[in-house]
Amino acid sequence: MQALKMLLRTWRGRQLSLIIWSLVLAVAVVTSVSILAERIERALTAESSSFLAADLVVRSSRAIDPLWIQEAELQQVRSARVLSFASMVYYDANMHLASIKAVEKGYPLKGVLRRTTSPFTSDIELIEEVDFGPAAGEAWVDARLLPLLDIELGDEIELGEIRLKVTQVVVEEPDSGGTYGAIGARVLMNYSDLEAAGIIVPGSRVTHRFLMAEGASGADGFADYSDWIRDQLDIHDRLITPDEAQASVADAMDEGRRFLLLAGSVGVVLAGIALALASHHFAAGQTQQVALLKSWGISANRVRSLYMQQSLWLGVAGSMLGLLVGYGFSEILIYAVREWLPISLPMAGLRPWITGMATGLLCLGGFTLPALWHLPAQSPLAVLRQDVQVKPVSSVARGLFGVVAVASLLLWYSNNVYLSLAILAGFALTAVATILIGLALLRAGKTYGQKMGSVWRLAASNLWRRKSQSIIQMVGFSGAIALLMIMAVVRTSLIDEWRWQLADDAPNHFLINVAPYELEGVRTMVSEQNLETAGWYSMVRGRMTQINGQDISEEQRDRHESFRRELNLSWTKDLPEGNQLTAGEWWDKLDLSGDIAPVSLEDQLAGELGLSIGDQITFSVGGLVFEARVTSTRSLNWDNMTPNFYFLFPEGLLENYPRTNMTSLYIPPQQKLLVNDLLRKYPTVQVIELDKIIERIRTIVSQVTSGLEVMTLLILSCGVLVMFAAVSLSMSERLQESAILRTLGSSRRLILGIQLVEFTVLGVMAGLLAAIGAEAAVAMIQRFMFDLPFAMHPWIWLVGPLAAGLLVGALGVGYSRKAVVQPPLEVLKNL
Amino acid sequence: MIQVSNISKQVTTTEGTLSILHEINLSLAAGESLAIVGPSGSGKSTLLGILAGLDLPSSGSVSLNGQDITAMDEEGRAAVRAQTVGFVFQSFHLLPGLTALENVALPLELQGDKQALQTAAYYLERVGLDHRTSHYPRQLSGGEQQRVAVARAFACRPTILFADEPTGNLDTGTGEKINDLLFDLNKEEGTTLVLVTHEHNLAARCGQRMVLAAGQQVSTGSAA
Repeated sequence: MQALKMLLRTWRGRQLSLIIWSLVLAVAVVTSVSILAERIERALTAESSSFLAADLVVRSSRAIDPLWIQEAELQQVRSARVLSFASMVYYDANMHLASIKAVEKGYPLKGVLRRTTSPFTSDIELIEEVDFGPAAGEAWVDARLLPLLDIELGDEIELGEIRLKVTQVVVEEPDSGGTYGAIGARVLMNYSDLEAAGIIVPGSRVTHRFLMAEGASGADGFADYSDWIRDQLDIHDRLITPDEAQASVADAMDEGRRFLLLAGSVGVVLAGIALALASHHFAAGQTQQVALLKSWGISANRVRSLYMQQSLWLGVAGSMLGLLVGYGFSEILIYAVREWLPISLPMAGLRPWITGMATGLLCLGGFTLPALWHLPAQSPLAVLRQDVQVKPVSSVARGLFGVVAVASLLLWYSNNVYLSLAILAGFALTAVATILIGLALLRAGKTYGQKMGSVWRLAASNLWRRKSQSIIQMVGFSGAIALLMIMAVVRTSLIDEWRWQLADDAPNHFLINVAPYELEGVRTMVSEQNLETAGWYSMVRGRMTQINGQDISEEQRDRHESFRRELNLSWTKDLPEGNQLTAGEWWDKLDLSGDIAPVSLEDQLAGELGLSIGDQITFSVGGLVFEARVTSTRSLNWDNMTPNFYFLFPEGLLENYPRTNMTSLYIPPQQKLLVNDLLRKYPTVQVIELDKIIERIRTIVSQVTSGLEVMTLLILSCGVLVMFAAVSLSMSERLQESAILRTLGSSRRLILGIQLVEFTVLGVMAGLLAAIGAEAAVAMIQRFMFDLPFAMHPWIWLVGPLAAGLLVGALGVGYSRKAVVQPPLEVLKNL
Repeated sequence: MIQVSNISKQVTTTEGTLSILHEINLSLAAGESLAIVGPSGSGKSTLLGILAGLDLPSSGSVSLNGQDITAMDEEGRAAVRAQTVGFVFQSFHLLPGLTALENVALPLELQGDKQALQTAAYYLERVGLDHRTSHYPRQLSGGEQQRVAVARAFACRPTILFADEPTGNLDTGTGEKINDLLFDLNKEEGTTLVLVTHEHNLAARCGQRMVLAAGQQVSTGSAA
């Protein structure tokens, strides 16, 4: 209790302010970043679940085993079956090959269906969100089906043996993005009507989906059930997780998550630096007290135990307070940005709290304890003689402790070795550069400062006289600035990368199967509407018939639909934009003269099909057979919404086979009827509509971007704390000197001028040195975490020193104002 | 009470070995008082530090209460200081975050004294500061701060009190009052007093006087 009493008295004496606020803010920043990150993460996961209309889906070519449904009921997991197929629907003499989707009660398990009774409306007031599908006997249809069949709401359409009453227009299905294959207009019907319709017979081309979502048994129950279902799957079934549901959204979310991690990690390191500086400051103020205690006969062990206990109390109390402040902070931030972040954020779990507490205690262990460690060794003689001072634990040893503490925190926090290494390497490089170059700069300043005016001369010689302190301050400043730069650069490049997704005219429709004789007509229709395509691509439809001379087996056909159906084969001279070779060589490095055609495969598909470089594929195009050999695999960029091909050949090989054309283009909502006109005139053209899914991607990406901005602000505040801690490090000495100068009659201008020059010079140097570390760390992070190409960032070399000079100069002068506002005696007395 | 035989102190500097004290001898009985005087740099404070067990001599021995503190390790000397010794310093050494009462009570609390605050209040009353107990050092004058330091030193009921230029930072009038207080309390508590001073009238009030010059013991004897 004595330790607690001493701590409270020290707190009251305001000696603890800096250290406790550093601790509270460190914990608060890490906690609030973690809470925000986790809540945004959970929101994103929920959002991506809605892309599946479930938490997990099994897609299958066979009917769903009733056992799965029973087991789901037993384990209290929600489930629903969905069946999709193409079928003709009729109204009088009109007919249309529609995309039918039969949904069971409970659909959608996640997300909502949006429906309306006003076809083609985009008025949000007229659109209703519901979490159920059509009742038995009803059909909800795509707006464009109405003109296609010449019907109105209330009419009955024929499907197989039954009639369904069209009651609603479907505006959006949560899981519409999952299938690019939906070609005809959507007809949504109730699963229970299927049998009576009599259209599904053994052998029908249908896709079964089994939707599952967390139910009364909660997350654990759902996890158990997911494990069970995984064991039930065979080659007909494919498990789809929310992440796989929509590749481009998943990418943006993934990058968003990684950025949150980066932001949090930067917060952790900044917090560590702030605490290290504050602890250094605190320990320096304690040596006299320890000498006094020891002169009273308090043993070194007792002194150590007293300080340990105080540190522990400080750690626990500071961390608890930090957790509370952090929680409040996250709530305020969420409230402040509610306009930007319209998705409702679920509550966070335990992890952010544990992370916050661990940050507090580990930072204390890594930074405060090493800073206080030498205190018990202080000689009691110091009460008589000022020159007797104990040597603190070496900076190297303390640095190592700090690095170990921060590295463990980073690893625990990010669970990512590359990120942790990049941040540590960036920081270490900055610190080493600061020590080496900083010292040289200070020396140069002292030499050349002599030839300048009095303010510069005094400032330069002060900086040199206090060189070890100046260097520590500079490490603090440059470390904080480097970390902030890392954040800013990564944030900017991510937002740039996503910008196309936020662009209003990103392609949202694909036109495929356009025959060569139709091409001119389609082009004209598109240009009459003043729309632009992403360019026309030719393709040939072909099947794989043999692999390495062996016929495609039943097993292979069952395993992957690419073995069953016609594939789109295209050709190009150059590697298309956004494609990257992952294995093998591109055409320019190959001998193209042989009989066997080279083919380049999308790498994920190659993996699924079990094909690798050198494998030979026999293709059949309209009965004509040719051989091809896999010469390369490519990764594709699905984000750019331009046509991508799984199979690419060199020019000059496929041109003679019957070909069709395709393109992608942006069709604004008000010109959506173009699709109907087009289909009426060219019934064989297929239109893939991605407008709804793109709208959702855009919403999510803009939410992720907003989340990013919030984080950046939060981390920025942590950076300012570090600067503040570093500035206050030398303040008592500076105030004392300023008070003496003031006593001797120096003007306010001279005193503030010296501080301004000193701090600005420190800031500018730190900013410059920070750019070195930041550039290195960013190179690593972009390469290993975000898969972005290396690029230099000239602006940080300019903005860094400028901003740092301004900020540090302003902080320093603000802090020193006391010296010229208060009478010198008061300043000295209060030190 | 204090037995000093042949203590010397040398320190090694970049310019060679420097002798700070040379073969000092001293004997002081319980309840007696000693003034160590001499010009600046004569080794007064070094001697005081060694006598109080805050520092070790290069050779020779010091016994306090019959215990040879030069033969002990730092822990042993700390224990002796805790039982026997009290200090008053030239620069007061009050903790700025503690009130006058808490400053006096702190060493008692650290010794586990449950009555620390009451004892501290009693001694503050004896130095005439009962109306200033809740004031912080920065709110007290120099003389008042030194009175708090004196109260703190006596509150632990030391058998030997070491004072390092106790009035060196105070004006003559205030210094006199502190001296009166120091000697009155010393008399009432029966403490052995060792003080370092420049002031002749203060030295004159002590039973014995040792004059140091350049680390040499010039004379020791009755102050009168």
